Amino acid sequence: MSEENKSCSNGSNAEPTATRSSAPMWIIVVTLVLLFVGGHYLDTHGGWFSSKVYAPYNSAEQLDSFQPKSGAAAVAAQGKKVYESVCGICHGMDGAGKPGQAPPLAGSEWVLAKGINRLAHIPLEGVNGSIKVEGKDWSLNMAAMGAALSDSDLAAVLTYLRTSWGNKAGEVTADDIKKVRDEIGGHPQPVSGDQLMKMPE
Amino acid sequence: MKTGFSVFLAAFVALGASWYGFVYAPLKQLGGAKQTFILQSSDTWPVQRTGEATLGLQVYRQYGCAACHTEQVRQTGATTEIALTSLGTYKPEDFKGYIKSLVAVVPELLTSSNTLVGNIENWNGQLPVTLYAGEDSDVVAALADKLKTVGAKTDAHIVASGADIDINARSWGTRQSVAADYLYDQPVQLGSLRAGPDLSNIGVRAPDINWQLMHLYAPGSVVPNSTMPAFRTLFEVRKIVVGHPSPDALVLKKEFAPADGMEVVPTAEARELAAYLLSLKANVPLYEAPFTPVTAAK
Amino acid sequence: MNQTENKTVCINEIDASCRVPLLALFGGAALWLVLGLLLAIAAAMSFHKPDIFADCPFLSFGHAQAAANDLLLYGFVVPAALGVMLWIFARLSQAPLALPIVPVVAANLWHVGVLIGTASILAGASSGYAWLEYSRIASVLLFAAFMLIAVSAVATMGFRAECRMYPSHWFLFAALLWFAWTFSTANLFLLSGHPPRGVVQAIIDWWFTNNVLFVWLGLTGIGIAFYFLPKLAEKPLSSTGYAMFAFLALMFFGTWCGIPQGAPVPAWLPTVSTYAASLSILPVIAVAIVAWRTVRSVGVKYTGGPLCFIKFGTLSFILSTLCYLSQFCPCYSQVLEHTWFGVGVTQWQLLGFASMILLGSIYYILPRIMDKELPFAGLARLNFFAFALGVLILVIPLLIGGVEQGLKLHAANATFTDSTNAALMFLRVSTLGQALLLLGALCLLLNIFKMTIQWKLGLLKCAIAAVKAPLPVEEVKS
Repeated sequence: MSEENKSCSNGSNAEPTATRSSAPMWIIVVTLVLLFVGGHYLDTHGGWFSSKVYAPYNSAEQLDSFQPKSGAAAVAAQGKKVYESVCGICHGMDGAGKPGQAPPLAGSEWVLAKGINRLAHIPLEGVNGSIKVEGKDWSLNMAAMGAALSDSDLAAVLTYLRTSWGNKAGEVTADDIKKVRDEIGGHPQPVSGDQLMKMPE
Repeated sequence: MKTGFSVFLAAFVALGASWYGFVYAPLKQLGGAKQTFILQSSDTWPVQRTGEATLGLQVYRQYGCAACHTEQVRQTGATTEIALTSLGTYKPEDFKGYIKSLVAVVPELLTSSNTLVGNIENWNGQLPVTLYAGEDSDVVAALADKLKTVGAKTDAHIVASGADIDINARSWGTRQSVAADYLYDQPVQLGSLRAGPDLSNIGVRAPDINWQLMHLYAPGSVVPNSTMPAFRTLFEVRKIVVGHPSPDALVLKKEFAPADGMEVVPTAEARELAAYLLSLKANVPLYEAPFTPVTAAK
Repeated sequence: MNQTENKTVCINEIDASCRVPLLALFGGAALWLVLGLLLAIAAAMSFHKPDIFADCPFLSFGHAQAAANDLLLYGFVVPAALGVMLWIFARLSQAPLALPIVPVVAANLWHVGVLIGTASILAGASSGYAWLEYSRIASVLLFAAFMLIAVSAVATMGFRAECRMYPSHWFLFAALLWFAWTFSTANLFLLSGHPPRGVVQAIIDWWFTNNVLFVWLGLTGIGIAFYFLPKLAEKPLSSTGYAMFAFLALMFFGTWCGIPQGAPVPAWLPTVSTYAASLSILPVIAVAIVAWRTVRSVGVKYTGGPLCFIKFGTLSFILSTLCYLSQFCPCYSQVLEHTWFGVGVTQWQLLGFASMILLGSIYYILPRIMDKELPFAGLARLNFFAFALGVLILVIPLLIGGVEQGLKLHAANATFTDSTNAALMFLRVSTLGQALLLLGALCLLLNIFKMTIQWKLGLLKCAIAAVKAPLPVEEVKS
């Protein structure tokens, strides 16, 4: 059958044939170049396949740098985040404290005090010995939970304490924390209630 | 050159790859999404629609509204900026000196354009004035802290920009649409043509149900030179019962009003569609699309 | 002499085996093309006089436009393409069509599906997804019909005399898998009882639209063009290397385009589409090189014959695809997205590229399968000029109007009405193009119907003659 078809090409009744040739090199090279250049574009604009990064943001870091960081609401959000991951486990997510574990923060005179010096010393140095909170004596140990926090984070969480659960007191700034840290210097020692009372407010 | 099997294999691999990338991967990444939180708030987003509005989405689909209207706002830029709103105890001349000293500590003040530092010679105390507009909110936070210590008041905000968003352009939304906005839409009616305006925030732009109903019955009566067709079958033109005109009857302009003694009453479908349109609001900030909402006091 | 006779009989036998299946497919396709263009004009009327269908919702823009688009794609392009593909496979295999009854059944199922689907859209039961508006029943019927035709096509291809495949084989065989997989996946995900939540639906819809309107359409149209261009120009196809590159690149790169740049989806999706679109320019260049080198030595003659259709279609593929891919460049899409530009590009792909190539193929195939000249050969030539002019008058104003609209939408201090006004005149002009296209489609319909009637009458005459024939002498003897 095929020999017959080859021998009589009947004008336009013949099936088309194709000139066999190999793939052209220049187009392969251009493809590879475009693959590389495009790959770079995907790298810089693709947000690394994150589900949160939408154009015009190019990366998760850039999106993060745009998140609001100033303003009372931002500080409260930051403080809440820090509180829930560092302090709330012992002091309770509602600031009510846990008997045998940590004193309450809601309504605590240490939190509501006008000056923030004594309050700041507590997370920066820790508590050892007796401390009176809302009429009750608490003799438990608290580690210096705030020592590892940044000035901004510690200021935010202390501000959060002072403005949550019915507490109404002024904010604590990162500069305030820095001052207290500088005061404490390199060797923080856990303090007791009496030692705190000896410090200026 | 190729056997049938190798052609099949090539096609299978090629299509399989894009099936994986554009069907399976988005399904895994976005298909199980739950509600998200509004930025700096414990409120969830999106808000579940009322029953009437949910039915209205089906009316929207049936009438093919997505053929002319889109429901997606696009964004092409974002800036985080801080503006000075009060000089505190400073006088403008003294403040200029303070700002010049601040530039040494916060060099980013020089990089943004159209700010106080750029026009400091011509500034004579007008407020508010932008101090910094860029991409780094750490700079904004640092400036806010520093200015607070000298008693000045500042206002920081994140601004989304783009032709769909800018006040003097389309102004169809305050931020771009993101996947979270469509969580409860079944089917999603994104649209692909803007023969009519975008509707993502029509519930914010035109919150009056009567306006929506009149626009559906006679678009020309509320939007001059509108090319939108009238959807009169969504309404019933009927005789007014003497002494008992319907409270739902539309109040139309003379050239669009029906004949004397007749009133135009919306059907249930019209009410559902209007409820759906009123539910279209997407003006809250999210983590993936941050912006600072403008409070009413401003 | 004997050899020539054997070959002629052989080709006639191949063509005759395709007669009934292809008539079933082409006849319905021609009818749907006319109906689709009528509905498209009805949809366009809404922009001439907005209130024209205010009291008649089933012809309003939303209904009519969706129905017209689906009729063009599922009613005309797909069945016509399947018919041409079956014939090309049969010819290239040098064997009659395998299992010819299967495509006949499938064609009928297909046309019933299109009828049900179109009725459901006009009645308001559209699914809400672009290019997937047909109801579930219609989609199931279409898929079943497609798979039946695929069975016949694969069987025909399997019976081929020569083991080595011709380039058209690769394109058309891959196209079978492509449509089957994308159509079934998209319908399963979107029209099922539990579709995915939210914006994933839109992503799947975009994936489907791109893979059908760009990749499948390209594979089919170019596969057919690579068959007819060398055949009608009586030259060999210029290079299998470029053809192979075009085939692989179109599949591997083209499939990833489709996500619009401004879409409310994470940034990686539109970025991947931009990446893919830049790479997809290369198969277009390869197709252009192959086509140009194959036909460049043939003198230019505007006779309106099948070669004119195929050449116009191939040129449309190159230009319309470049416009299509430009939409995935982030800077252009800021202006072009959501405008009539996208509509114009899609119409160019469907009407200027696919329909032209299919029409040329149908006009070449029809006389051969019916073993009869075209009854209205002049109308067939008129079809070319009407369609060519119609495509230009439809597409170019839409593209320009879209750009004007996009510039106004993008500009500060312009109102929304400015953008609609900028495009309105262009829209109205493009309706004239649709009218010309309708004229061309009627030419096709007349040709096919006359041929079908002639054939049926011929069969009837044969049957009557057989009944009336005198009885053989042997039987009379007792």
